[in-house]
Amino acid sequence: MLGVALFAGLWYWFVKTDIGYGITHAIRQPLFVALPIGLMMGDLQQALIIGAAIQILYIGLVAAGSNLPADDALAGLIAIPLALATDLSPALAVAIAVPIGIFGVFIDQLRKTVNIVFVHMADKYAANANTRGIFLTNFVFPTAFQFFLRFPIVFIAVLFGADAVEGVLNALPAWLLNGFSVAGGLLPALGFALVIFVIGRRDLLPWFFIGYFLVAYTSIPVLGAAIFGICIVLLIAGYTRTRNVSAAEASTPPRTTRAALATPTDAPKEVTPNV
Amino acid sequence: MSENTTTAVAETEQPNIPAITEKDVRKSWFRYYVFAETGISYERLQALGFTYGILPILKKLYPKKEDLAAAMQRHLVFYNTEAVFGAPINGVVISMEEQRAQGKPITDDAITGIKTGLMGPMAGLGDSIDWATMKPLIFALAASLGATGNFIAPFILLLLPLFQIIVGLNLATTGYRQGRSSIQDLLQSGRIKELITGASTLGLFMMGVLSATYISLTTPLSFQFGDDNEPFVVQDILNNLAPGILPLLVVLALYFVLRRKKQNLGLIALSLVVIALLGSLAGIF
Repeated sequence: MLGVALFAGLWYWFVKTDIGYGITHAIRQPLFVALPIGLMMGDLQQALIIGAAIQILYIGLVAAGSNLPADDALAGLIAIPLALATDLSPALAVAIAVPIGIFGVFIDQLRKTVNIVFVHMADKYAANANTRGIFLTNFVFPTAFQFFLRFPIVFIAVLFGADAVEGVLNALPAWLLNGFSVAGGLLPALGFALVIFVIGRRDLLPWFFIGYFLVAYTSIPVLGAAIFGICIVLLIAGYTRTRNVSAAEASTPPRTTRAALATPTDAPKEVTPNV
Repeated sequence: MSENTTTAVAETEQPNIPAITEKDVRKSWFRYYVFAETGISYERLQALGFTYGILPILKKLYPKKEDLAAAMQRHLVFYNTEAVFGAPINGVVISMEEQRAQGKPITDDAITGIKTGLMGPMAGLGDSIDWATMKPLIFALAASLGATGNFIAPFILLLLPLFQIIVGLNLATTGYRQGRSSIQDLLQSGRIKELITGASTLGLFMMGVLSATYISLTTPLSFQFGDDNEPFVVQDILNNLAPGILPLLVVLALYFVLRRKKQNLGLIALSLVVIALLGSLAGIF
């Protein structure tokens, strides 16, 4: 487990620097880290299956105003090795991932508070036109500090967790384990609710219900529903544009010609939108 | 006479500022994209990242130390947007700095104003398209492939940053070419509003789709009124009303909680787990 623990600790530190924006976002996902972990522990298939199961928790995870409701990286990097080592089912792996992911949120909050120190250092560097100072305060210092936030927790959890997990799981009553599974089924809701809140268009809320019941009644897969959604949006955009263009044309005055001047002109026809 | 005019011309000549190329613009945005959030803090969020991204441009435009210092301080103000659909801002700001360095009367307030004014709408657009639609689509695809143990699945996740980088590079260049007035025209003409409405529609629709697909909650509750009667199974009653009522209620409940006052997300998540545990203990879930 030492190799996996080292990898997990270092990877967690690396991906949580947020370097590369979408790049680290992708490679910190449980489904992605399942690849190296599975290879290291000799069971790639199972690692991927477990990683995919944990991934579901975090598909709707959006950093609304850069606040994360859960830590997908921490959950995957600890739960997957432990689940593989102790032969847990995907459902149980999800159950232990849940509290881990929530714990990570508080680490993030600590990070964003401490980084304020570096911003103030940057102000001083800027006053002296010290461009290297920007690199130091934007990357080097925050990253160095983060090592102590990120590496130890994961390293220790993975190194010693496997032994602990079995004992803990056996001691836990059934309702507690079931409770964590239920929580796993509920947590994606927080991510989705957050996105709905961030979008903030209450007048468009019916679209949420359309999407919801489309799937609830037909069980259509996500990609299928997305196709409908994208087509509808494109059509609406097209109709709106046509309507705006027609309205603009209706309000421009009719061209005056010699013939028109000679004869009385009609009032311009009202153009009704035919959507 | 000719010597006088020559010296007069020499005195008013601008120092030779190298031109900003579109390649510079793309490199600058990409630099911002990579380092936007490495130094993120509650006080100024992406300010450090934005400054770091535009720094090569500033070094080119302002050889004098005082000008460079002023420019750096100018950009260390609070900044936060979605890095991909906020790329036009990077382009526009670069073009404004370039004009300012060439002597045009562009104030600090004008530059900061454009950043502040645009970062909100572009974040709305970017969050809807990039994170509320593209991410769930790509990640859901990857997850369903991964559930079968297919090793290609993790690499599908990389389609997201690929999409982001292609779109971002293009948008940054567009912002630079169009410049400030075009972007402001875009804002005023309502095209941005159209775009945001479309993106918001798609985003909300996708949230509904994902909620129905990935949230699960059922209740095993059933009541027996007397030995002869059929047990009163709550879940069946709910299913007869409409499928997926309980998960729907969960999302709506969380949405209203968030609307009341946006509290600590960690605490909300924690409360959710506690409720799930208590519900499990009580046999409700």
